[in-house]
Formats: sequence, C-alpha cells, structure tokens
Amino acid sequence: MSHVDEGTLHAYLDGELPSSERAALEAHLAQCTTCRATLAEERALLERASALLGSTRPIERPAPPFEQLRRPKRSQWRVRTPFAWAASIMLALGLGYYLRDPENNRAMFAPSEPAVVAQDRNASAPAPALGAERQQRPTVPTRFGERRRVSTPPADEVASMQSSADSLAAVETPPAAAGAISLKSSTQLRSANPATPAPALRRDSVLRLDEVVVTGESPVAALRGRGGTTQWQIISRGAAMTLLGTDPVGLPGLATRRIRRSPAPDATVVVEQVLDSSTVIQIFQRPMDSFGYYIDGARRDSAAALARQRERAPAAAAREIAPADRLARFVGRLRVEISGPLSTDSLNRLLEQVEPLP
Amino acid sequence: MPDDIAEVYRNTYPALVRFLYRKVWDAERAEDLAQEAFARALVHRPENTRGWLFVVAANMARDEARKAAREKRHLTLLKSEPDAVHGSPEEDIDADTQRTRVRAALDQLTPRDREALLLWDAGMSYDEIAAQTGLSRGAIGTTLARARRRLVEAYDAGREGGQHVARG
Repeated sequence: MSHVDEGTLHAYLDGELPSSERAALEAHLAQCTTCRATLAEERALLERASALLGSTRPIERPAPPFEQLRRPKRSQWRVRTPFAWAASIMLALGLGYYLRDPENNRAMFAPSEPAVVAQDRNASAPAPALGAERQQRPTVPTRFGERRRVSTPPADEVASMQSSADSLAAVETPPAAAGAISLKSSTQLRSANPATPAPALRRDSVLRLDEVVVTGESPVAALRGRGGTTQWQIISRGAAMTLLGTDPVGLPGLATRRIRRSPAPDATVVVEQVLDSSTVIQIFQRPMDSFGYYIDGARRDSAAALARQRERAPAAAAREIAPADRLARFVGRLRVEISGPLSTDSLNRLLEQVEPLP
Repeated sequence: MPDDIAEVYRNTYPALVRFLYRKVWDAERAEDLAQEAFARALVHRPENTRGWLFVVAANMARDEARKAAREKRHLTLLKSEPDAVHGSPEEDIDADTQRTRVRAALDQLTPRDREALLLWDAGMSYDEIAAQTGLSRGAIGTTLARARRRLVEAYDAGREGGQHVARG
C-alpha cells in the first residue's frame, strides 16, 4: 500500500471513513512510520483549524421556544401588509375627505355638509361665506380634484400660511382654521411650553396672531373667508421695499408673478413666484426692528432669540421646527414664511434658498 | 411533520446559528436568519429538514452578504478597523481581533472549501456535506484537509503580517 493521502487521513480523523477502509488504513499505519507522522501532523492541523473556528463561535443563546416559530416572520408580514394597505387607503380617503372641496367632490362623497365646517370646533366660522367663496372658485373634475387636494392643492387656493400681526386680523381669522391641520410652531418655538395644546393657543389672541397654518383646507378657507391673499392689494416692488424697509425676498431664478400687501397694517408682504405653470409659491415676509419686534410694535419671534435657541440646542430646535412644519425663517430683518402646493419638505428646502430679490 | 421539525430545531438550531454566524458575522442576525429558516421549514415541510435548513440558510446568508457588501463599501471608508469602535475591555478587543483574523483567513478559502468546512463545523456528516455541496463523498476528506490547511496558513500569515502591516 502506498502512502495514505491527506484526504483519507482527515476522513479517518473525522470518523467518516467507511469501516472497510478504516481497517485497511489502520493496518497500514501500524507498519508505516511516515504515514503515522503524517497522521499526527494532520491531526494537529485539524485541531488547530477547529480551534480557530471555535474561537469565532457566537455567544450561544438558548433557542427561542419552538412555538414562537409557528408565527413565521414572513407570515406576520403577510398579515400586516393588507392592514398597512388598508390603513394607507383609509388615510388617503380620510385626507381626501378632509381636504376635499365639498363643491367639487360632492359627486364622489355625496354628503352636503362641508367637511371643514364640520370640523370647526369653535362653531363660529363664517360657513356661508366660505360656501359662497367656494362657488366662485374654478371647478375641477371631481376625481382629479380629489387627488390634487391630497397631494398638491391648486396653487390659487394655497395661501396656507399667514402671519397676521394685529389683533384685529386675529379676530377676523375664521376659527375654521382651528379644525384643520394647523401647525403652530411659531408659538411652540417661542412658548415656554412647546407642548401647549393648540386649542389653548387659539383662545389666546396674542399668541394666535402668530399662528402658522401650513396645510389643509382651513387656512385656505380662512384666507378665503377674508378674501384670501387674492384680495390683498397688489403693490409694486418699490412699495414693497418701502413697506419692508428692505428688499423683498424670494427665490432666486423664479419669476415673480406679483407682490401683494396685507390689508392689515402690519407691513406683511407676500411675494408670489411661479415655480412652474401650475405652481405658485407664496413667500410671506414681515419686517422686524433690530430688537426683534415687528415694526408695528407687537412682540414677535425675535431673530436673536431664535438664533440663541438654535445655538443652545440645535437638534431640539430642529425637532421643534420639523414636526410642526414651521416653514419660517429670518432673512435679515424679515421674518419669512413660505407656502405652496408642495410637500413640507420641499417648501422647507425652498425656504432655505430665499434671499433678497435683485 | 412539525414534531420532527421541533426535534431538528432542538438539535440543530445552535449549529445553524453558528454556521450562519460565520457567514454574516453578526450574532443577532445569524439568530434571526436561523429562525427564519426554521419558520420556512414549517411552511415547506421538506423531506430532509436538516439538509434543507442548511441549504436555505446558506442562500439567505449569501443574499445577506451581498447586501452587506454593498452597504459595507462605504462603511469601511469610515472605519478601517471594523471592531475598533466598541471600546470594549481588553479581552473583548482580543476576541474581536481574533475573530477578525479568523474571518480574514476564512475569506481566503475558496467558496467550496469554506462551505465544506463550515458545514462540517456545524455538525454535518460527509454525506450531508456531499449532498449540500455537490461534491462526491470521497472528495470531502480531501476538501476538508485543504480547507483546514489553508485556514491555518492564512491565519498565521495574517497574524504575522498584522504585526507590521495594517490590516483592512
């Protein structure tokens, strides 16, 4: 018998050599010192390799009860996915119902009561006026309109943010704004207790002045109830500059459609810019004096205070801003807010690019 | 039969976790994958549960490795030493270093040699390894002998090199 190959030796050492072969091998080993030496080497090699592998064993933890496997992770997903779909459909339907234009979507939803009015917690919204206002609005096809309302509201309807300064304007703001997705981050930012519930803020007319409403039907309705920004007086760029005391700000590279001023004596100016043929971005801006007061004297967000807050806890400040869809920042002396039929994220990014218009 | 799977589960789960761990190098992930493999076995009821489990586990680990390789590419740019960030006690660092070296050595084996070695280490017989890898039963001893030799040599080379040359 010639010398034994290492494969056979390993099989032998592993106890995997068939019994007939094993007997023959052992007989050979008894006579062959070379193969015995080789066997010793291979055993050492095998043991080292096992030791190396053994050094990389994971910490062994007891197997979870077998019964737990009866709910395979996959099947959990199989169960959950339909629910997830159902949930998202319900959400979409709910949003659509909520944001829909009752006039346009009646065919689809049938109820005659406007959803926004139904949501009005203060029950003092000028509902008839809203209705009348809606009648004047251009009609869009029902299904299309529905989808647009959910994702990208028509540009002419989106005056979804306003910063009214005087208490008169605050009183005038239809409480319908309360019912919708109204986000009051400005008050949250400034307020000692950011978690103050919205209704409490609404009752406070001073705080409410600064209420920032970002999306949803109500702010639109709110503006519409007062004529919206469409009834704000169109002014020239020069007049805007006089009002603001500085250049109006906007997005560089975008055509400015028009500039309007708030009917309230708060020097609020809105620059309307065309993003594309169907998208108009509104950039609301208000001057503040060097002490962080608005020009009309009402104490408002102080740019310095905001900056301090950001410095102190930038992450916390960002958190406060982000979930509430703040969409406001300071550009020089101007407190700037942005609104448009885009996602909050997009609007925030646009807001970051706002700069004095050339 | 579920009872059989339960039995296999008791006997094979740790080995399957170990087998997977040497592929994904993440203990928790290895456990997840092992449980996932058993859960699939409950659905498929394969003839040879044990063999089937290792095939499925190997496939899952391969998918996992591909995914990890993609993610790792930029991670390795961030940290050249995979386990240096933990700040663990010295023993742990040693264990991490050891694992890194063995892993690097294993990576130098051919896929087939490595697979045979890991399957053997997971407690599979030559017959099972042959069935799994497509090798003839007679070739398993030779394959394992080669795999073990390369593993030891690569490990020793890595350790010597590691004294002077930065790993990674």
